[in-house]
Amino acid sequence: MSILDVNYAAILVDGLSFALPLLIIAIGGIYSERSGIVNLALEGLLGFGAFVGALFVASTAGLFAAHSDLPMYFSFLFAAIGGGMFAVIHAVLCIKFMANQVISGVVINILSVALTGFFTSTINANFFGQASERFMLQTSPRWDIPFLMDIPILGAAFTRVYPFMLIILVVATFFWYLLYKTQFGMRVRAAGDNPQALDAAGVNVSRVRFGAVVISGVLAGIGGMSFAYSISTNFSPAIYMGFGFLAIAALIFGNWKIIPTFAACLIFGLTRSAAFNLLPVFDASAAVLDLALAAPFVVTLVLLAVFGKKNMAPRALGDVYDKSKR
Amino acid sequence: MSSKKSAPQRPDQTDHLPEQSRQALHGFNKALDDATRMVVKGLGAERWQALTIPLLSILLSLLVISVVILAFGNNPLEVFSSILAGAGWFAKSNYGGGQSQLTDLINLATTLTPLLFAALGVVVALRCGLFNIGIAGQMVLAGFIATVFVGYSGMDALVARPLVLVIGVVVGALAGALIGFLKYRFNIHEVVSSIMLNNIFMYVVAYIIKLNYHDPVSRNMRAASSDARLLTDPVHLGEASARLPVGFLLAVIAAFVLWFFLTKTRQGFEMTAVGKSPKAAQYAGIKIGRTVVFAMALSGAMGGLAGVTHYLASVPSIAPNVLPSVGFDGIAVAFLGNAHPLGAVLAATLIATLSTGATYMSSIVGVRQEIAALITGMILLFTACGGYLKSWLENKKSMIADADRAAADRAAGSKGGDGA
Repeated sequence: MSILDVNYAAILVDGLSFALPLLIIAIGGIYSERSGIVNLALEGLLGFGAFVGALFVASTAGLFAAHSDLPMYFSFLFAAIGGGMFAVIHAVLCIKFMANQVISGVVINILSVALTGFFTSTINANFFGQASERFMLQTSPRWDIPFLMDIPILGAAFTRVYPFMLIILVVATFFWYLLYKTQFGMRVRAAGDNPQALDAAGVNVSRVRFGAVVISGVLAGIGGMSFAYSISTNFSPAIYMGFGFLAIAALIFGNWKIIPTFAACLIFGLTRSAAFNLLPVFDASAAVLDLALAAPFVVTLVLLAVFGKKNMAPRALGDVYDKSKR
Repeated sequence: MSSKKSAPQRPDQTDHLPEQSRQALHGFNKALDDATRMVVKGLGAERWQALTIPLLSILLSLLVISVVILAFGNNPLEVFSSILAGAGWFAKSNYGGGQSQLTDLINLATTLTPLLFAALGVVVALRCGLFNIGIAGQMVLAGFIATVFVGYSGMDALVARPLVLVIGVVVGALAGALIGFLKYRFNIHEVVSSIMLNNIFMYVVAYIIKLNYHDPVSRNMRAASSDARLLTDPVHLGEASARLPVGFLLAVIAAFVLWFFLTKTRQGFEMTAVGKSPKAAQYAGIKIGRTVVFAMALSGAMGGLAGVTHYLASVPSIAPNVLPSVGFDGIAVAFLGNAHPLGAVLAATLIATLSTGATYMSSIVGVRQEIAALITGMILLFTACGGYLKSWLENKKSMIADADRAAADRAAGSKGGDGA
């Protein structure tokens, strides 16, 4: 193969198909952390969301027409609900029970891995009559976007697109708008920077934080479901590959802001897909893939070392809000 | 202290009820009050809360899990006792060749060792206000370098084993110090740099393994020679025989040394001071940067020891492209142990018991072994609420004191009659 045979379209689309789910998970993290609640639970939330979505697909297999895409769309809805419900645990622990937020995140991750592993095999054995630790999904359709795909060079990003990429773009835009342009978004940001001022303005800080944490679960669920479709076309405990932690790294890299975080996700996604797609060209051994996969992390560290000096976490991040303290 | 009133003092809103149910309600309130007093009396002693609250968490989580097990039609007691038997605390009904209750206990110690080291690493960092999520990466790197330089060298066991431990300490400390340095010098959050370094170490190690040290059969790294592994030659114990884990005693000693270091030495105090309030520590003349790097180096050294005791004792060799889950379980153990080195010993024993015993339990009772992780998660869930329980206890304590004082006043008032 020569350099001319490289499938640049594939690099773009594969890169985006990794970057976008990561982005939506990271936006979830941004909501939670901007409201003042540390969220190390993203890994667990994305897994539990994907579990609920896949459970829906597995349990309704006979109800839809054979090649209908409807179950797929519903699975995203259920993944969002599942992630949001699981995030309630984190919210209750951190807000009502004043738990250490880092511990709570670790708890959610452990519980998520344990619960989904336990229930996937138990449900498979007891209800579907098969010994399996995964729920199969159908292959996601891939779309060519008319007109846009004809743009020179960039048009390649609009061929063979996963539907979830469009879903994520819409959802991400909505939540960007919500965070920066609405009253609720301003309250979320105030809750993490100066909760006393928010309280003085007559807003219930706990309620705002609760909402933000639930949103983080909803978005993580959507991201998890996307990974389940793009990487494995099934749900199994293998979904816990550390993408939640990668999203945390992306959002801290992006200084808890959505647009810079998107840039970080693109770095991860595009270097990753470039590694997969370029290796055959250089006739490299499969082992080199590992070196290439390490590249985005090195790049991130270097970028952080160069530009990270002014990185500032939300000021009240990790603090339990106590009305009586000033 | 508190403006709230305890239950018996509430104005009587039960007048509209029939006499019988009013009495029942009063009885219920009385019982509730007594129960509260009992709980407060049992758990109120702050001195023992570090122990009583985790114990209560364990009890509660076992209760919840019992309900789950019952729902699946199994006997919880059978599940718990067979987990304990599988880990070697009880005798099993029968043993395979060369095995006994003692060898089960030795297996438990072998898996417990890296878990304890990992937890100690997390504890040290936590004391300095740092969250070392990078233990897994430090484990891979230390295990890899020790295997490459000692595992294939054919050195005599007397030289090889101490050398492996030294490599674990040095490599781990360097990897940990790097995280501290990045935080101090470049303001990179330790959680981010740890996650980045975890992935970098994992992929680079996988690359070198696949290039040079690949075992085509196991698809893992070629195993180190038994002279380099941190297990003794088989020791005969009656009919059974087992290899003893070299690192186990070391891990327990490390816990005590760390406890001494953190509470009784100047540097330990400085670390704790930085963890509690960096600004105050700086004001007191403590060099923050140096303390942070040192704390991370110490934490990393524990991570490195976890790596060599994991890859050169508890499992056969390194699987490429996989971060060891022990590195993350250590975080749970550290929190369960109340971020205290000696607490970590108890917590690691519990978690290792659950995870090693679950396999046997699964084969005997038929409940899936993921139940062990579920129990761990539940225990941690209740532990996380410990802070809330503490403030609830404080609240109730002062309420009860108030109520008692009021009752005493009333009693005195009715005796005195006319008053002032």
